[in-house]
Amino acid sequence: MALDDRKHSTTEERLATMTVPDVGCTAQARQSALGRLRAMGLPSRRDEYWKFTRPDTLVQSQAPEASIFADDEKPVFTDVDRLKIVFVDGVFDPALSDDLSLSGVEIDRLEDVCCTDDHWAEDLYGTLETKGQTPVERPLAALNTAFAGDGVTIRVTGKPTKPINLIYTHEDETSDVFLHHVVRVESGAEATILENGPAAARFNKCIEIDIADGGTLHHIRAQGRDHKRRAVTHLFAQLGRESVFKSFTLTANGVLTRNECVIELTGDDAVAHVAGACVGDGDFHHDDTVFVTHDAVNCESRQVFKKVLRNGATGVFQGKILVKAGAQKTDGYQISQSLLLDEDSQFLAKPELEIYADDVACSHGSTSGAIDEEGLFYLRARGVPKAIATDLLTLAFLAEAVEEIEDEALREEINGRLAGWLERRRG
Amino acid sequence: MLEIKDLHVDLEEETKTILKGVNLSVEAGKVHAIMGPNGSGKSTLSYVLSGRDGYEVTKGSATLEGEDLLEMEPEERAAAGLFLAFQYPVEIPGVGNMTFLRTALNAQRKARGEDEMSAADFLKMVREKAKNLKIDADMLKRPVNVGFSGGEKKRNEILQMAVLEPKMCILDETDSGLDVDAMKLVAQGVNALRDADRGFLVITHYQRLLDHIKPDVVHIMADGRIVKTGGPELALEVENNGYADILTEVA
Amino acid sequence: MAVLDEAQVRDQVKEGVDQETVDAVREVGGAYKYGWETDIEMEYAPKGLTPDIVRLISEKNEEPEWMTNWRLEAYERWLTKEEPDWAMVDYPEIDFQDQYYYARPKSMEVKPKSLDEVDPKLLATYAKLGIPLKEQMILAGVEGAENAPAEGRKVAVDAVFDSVSVGTTFQKELMQAGVIFCSISEAIREHPELVKKYLGSVVPVSDNFYATLNSAVFSDGSFVYVPPGVRCPMELSTYFRINAENTGQFERTLIIADKGSYVSYLEGCTAPQRDISQLHAAVVEIIVEEDAEVKYSTVQNWYPGDENGKGGIYNFVTKRADCRGDRAKVMWTQVETGSAVTWKYPSCILRGNESQGEFYSIAIANNYQQADTGTKMIHLGKNTRSRIVSKGISAGHAQNTYRGLVSMHPKAKDSRNYTQCDSLLIGDQCGAHTVPYIEVKNNSSRVEHEATTSKVDDDQMFYCRQRGMDEEEAVALVVNGFCKDVLQALPMEFAMEAQQLVAISLEGSVG
Repeated sequence: MALDDRKHSTTEERLATMTVPDVGCTAQARQSALGRLRAMGLPSRRDEYWKFTRPDTLVQSQAPEASIFADDEKPVFTDVDRLKIVFVDGVFDPALSDDLSLSGVEIDRLEDVCCTDDHWAEDLYGTLETKGQTPVERPLAALNTAFAGDGVTIRVTGKPTKPINLIYTHEDETSDVFLHHVVRVESGAEATILENGPAAARFNKCIEIDIADGGTLHHIRAQGRDHKRRAVTHLFAQLGRESVFKSFTLTANGVLTRNECVIELTGDDAVAHVAGACVGDGDFHHDDTVFVTHDAVNCESRQVFKKVLRNGATGVFQGKILVKAGAQKTDGYQISQSLLLDEDSQFLAKPELEIYADDVACSHGSTSGAIDEEGLFYLRARGVPKAIATDLLTLAFLAEAVEEIEDEALREEINGRLAGWLERRRG
Repeated sequence: MLEIKDLHVDLEEETKTILKGVNLSVEAGKVHAIMGPNGSGKSTLSYVLSGRDGYEVTKGSATLEGEDLLEMEPEERAAAGLFLAFQYPVEIPGVGNMTFLRTALNAQRKARGEDEMSAADFLKMVREKAKNLKIDADMLKRPVNVGFSGGEKKRNEILQMAVLEPKMCILDETDSGLDVDAMKLVAQGVNALRDADRGFLVITHYQRLLDHIKPDVVHIMADGRIVKTGGPELALEVENNGYADILTEVA
Repeated sequence: MAVLDEAQVRDQVKEGVDQETVDAVREVGGAYKYGWETDIEMEYAPKGLTPDIVRLISEKNEEPEWMTNWRLEAYERWLTKEEPDWAMVDYPEIDFQDQYYYARPKSMEVKPKSLDEVDPKLLATYAKLGIPLKEQMILAGVEGAENAPAEGRKVAVDAVFDSVSVGTTFQKELMQAGVIFCSISEAIREHPELVKKYLGSVVPVSDNFYATLNSAVFSDGSFVYVPPGVRCPMELSTYFRINAENTGQFERTLIIADKGSYVSYLEGCTAPQRDISQLHAAVVEIIVEEDAEVKYSTVQNWYPGDENGKGGIYNFVTKRADCRGDRAKVMWTQVETGSAVTWKYPSCILRGNESQGEFYSIAIANNYQQADTGTKMIHLGKNTRSRIVSKGISAGHAQNTYRGLVSMHPKAKDSRNYTQCDSLLIGDQCGAHTVPYIEVKNNSSRVEHEATTSKVDDDQMFYCRQRGMDEEEAVALVVNGFCKDVLQALPMEFAMEAQQLVAISLEGSVG
């Protein structure tokens, strides 16, 4: 179908302001991404997939300003033994980063890939993103593939002893950043990737993850704090036979966050869990858009998303389980829940199932409501002050999502962040 | 009545042999008991006889009154007179117990070329039989086994047996999950059905059920075979000494 | 059939599936039961859709000028609208100029003054469908009606044949209670003040492509007005029959339940078996005032097409109820077994405080049928309640989608919604999909949505077969159990018919 005029002009206007970086061997992938983007156009608020989230500020040429936030709280994961890779306003900072060598993993900067012939990531860059464009278009991901200025490639060949931590800091109030990472977990290998930091005034990040047969990847990220930042992220993962992928995201504040997660189970007996805990206060809009495709036999997928919203915050969940013909013995589960702490907040959800195989057990649930008054009363009757009781119940509400983090120390780190967030808002 | 000869059975999904040559003959009017340790193949035997998917007969035969059971669909076996009281009766939400029974009874009657039973006669018959098993009207109305206690499920199995009047009854671990009172009630129900034309095969792990349903013959099954056959005293021997002694003895 | 006492009958009916279900399957042998056609002389308007055709329809119905203008306005709007494409249905493009928009039996040229004057051929048609147009105690012929309670039940019937209503029973008796039940064409002539006030007030003329089309060309349908405080003394029903070839049926139903009144309305539909698909685009509007209650039940059994997907009705329907007053209550129950393509979302606008909306649905799609159906619950008033129970069954190569919206507006404080959507798949060539939209804009309301998709349980199947049922009987039994929550919501006569339909619709889906 031809692009309508308005979409065409918006898209061309934006592209006119941008230049494809000097690109080496990703040149072809970037050109084809540009072609894809031109064919589909940038998202508009009339698109079904953007029904609940206005894409305007993500699409417009100029990134809206975002003030820099400062407080005494030390950044998340600080106390974790990790390998740090730091980007400041979207540019790799070798001084702040650790030495990139670690046993069991090969890490390169994206620009190194561009300069080398025959890099393993060459065939992967843009590939999963391309695949992830059907059946639903994700133009902002194509935009990223075409224009990403920096990023890393991570190839996990063994079992590195510590997690790899991608840290995004923000110093420029108008920074408009595109990062693109490529990850490959080789057969039988296992690693943990951490991500955190406010990143930029406007952040467009894409990560492509290819997990070979029997590989395992844990992914835990913490987004934002009180910045006026905006972010759109895409995570594309492809899972081989008996592989495992577990992803958890904590999102706290930020004016606008859209996290798209596109997972395809292509090998039998694979397992994918995606979870999110989100806390929003005030002028906050957070959107989890998840698309899990089962294209193999006997796979398991879980989507667990919890949102706590107050002071007019908006939470969005669009989730889908697609079971292709032949993907028998699928076990698919999806839950999305919101806790609305006051009457101005809202929750918008579209939890979908699309199933073309009969021997499956798929279910989804979605609820929205206020805090459980009975539970609150019970705690208060035992002497717990209302504010603390509310926090306790709120943390309990978020627990199902947080529990998706396997590592206990990391789980506690995240729980601590959530408790701190609530405590700071205690009246 | 029931003749099983050299029956060998594998699991379909994995290469595992469960039954390794079972020979058994149950005469009309007799109650045979099969005892054995867990994993000896007792329940598999009941499923293979009733035609559940997932098993492959590699050798041997099983006939009911001379008819080859193994060639029949499950419902044909039922119509031929084979009844299995399940160890774990299945819940069927939304389907009333009475509806289920009536559909089953008339399906069997039709398959045998008999007239269907009228609704009125059916109701009368079921109510009477239910009374003996202390199954109240409420239980009859509820969906099949949904929300039933362990005892209620087992009594319901016996009610179905009483209504369908099979020739050959297999009771698979009917005593599991029952307290003494419930077991007595179930045993009474079974005993009331004992007659010269009907055979019983009672599968159980413990001897206690056999205190209430007195067997004529007791078989001990181990590792996919019947390793010892005797009278009711064999069950007592198991009760007193456990399976270990017998298994050592026959090994 | 032996005579049973009433309690016994109730027991049996309540239990869900009956032996009759299974018998019906055998009798019918899977064929669509209503696929024959009536050979009757028809009068057609020329093919295609123009302002002249709209005027002609209006003229044939002897409508006043305001109505003609209303239609023409709708026609103009329709020209600017696009066919919706968001549903998960796929069918060849419809040529809207290659349809007849008006077809009536010649014998209906002069309106029969009473049922006695109606063409015997038409009466015979309805008799054959099991709907004799006689004023009798029970709706005989609906299978199982002989089991109905001894005191008998009256059901008034409006029979619509292609584009016209051929007769309405029990009108006089209803009139005595103050209830108006007639064809919509009659209502436009006889009760213009009511029609003017309410028509298009729930489903605006330009609501959607099909509703707009319907507004321009609807030819007949039913009209119900229940005055304040009146409990309608009998069930009302409309029976729709498409007979003519290449003819679309566009019926319009308007039900007004005034303050404190109650009415239960049933709707049935069938069509002949033809290789070429036919269009059906209806609009139903229900107005429920303070403390009033309306139950609307549908057994939709339009011709579904053959086992290769040839023919069948395209069913594009807009149904909406507006609970205008406080404590108003509406309940939609639908059993959708027919049609090649179904696009239908009976909805509730819960405007009055403490108003309630319920939606119970069974949608069965077999062979190459496609169903995209569900509901919208729009909570506007305080303390409003809604409940959605949807059971979708897919078999053969069919696609079955539940699509729904639950919206809690900021002012709908303390409201509740509970949604349960279950899908069952029979065979590995079909699809089952769930597309719910949930919008919660206040925190005192609670919304719960649950959905499951699975196949018919192997253990349940084996259990039934061990007790002697063959596969088809076992599936019919288990599926009827799966649908029970919805079947229970139907009036008794419909419940029995629906049970049979469930079994018949799944014929040939096993093995």
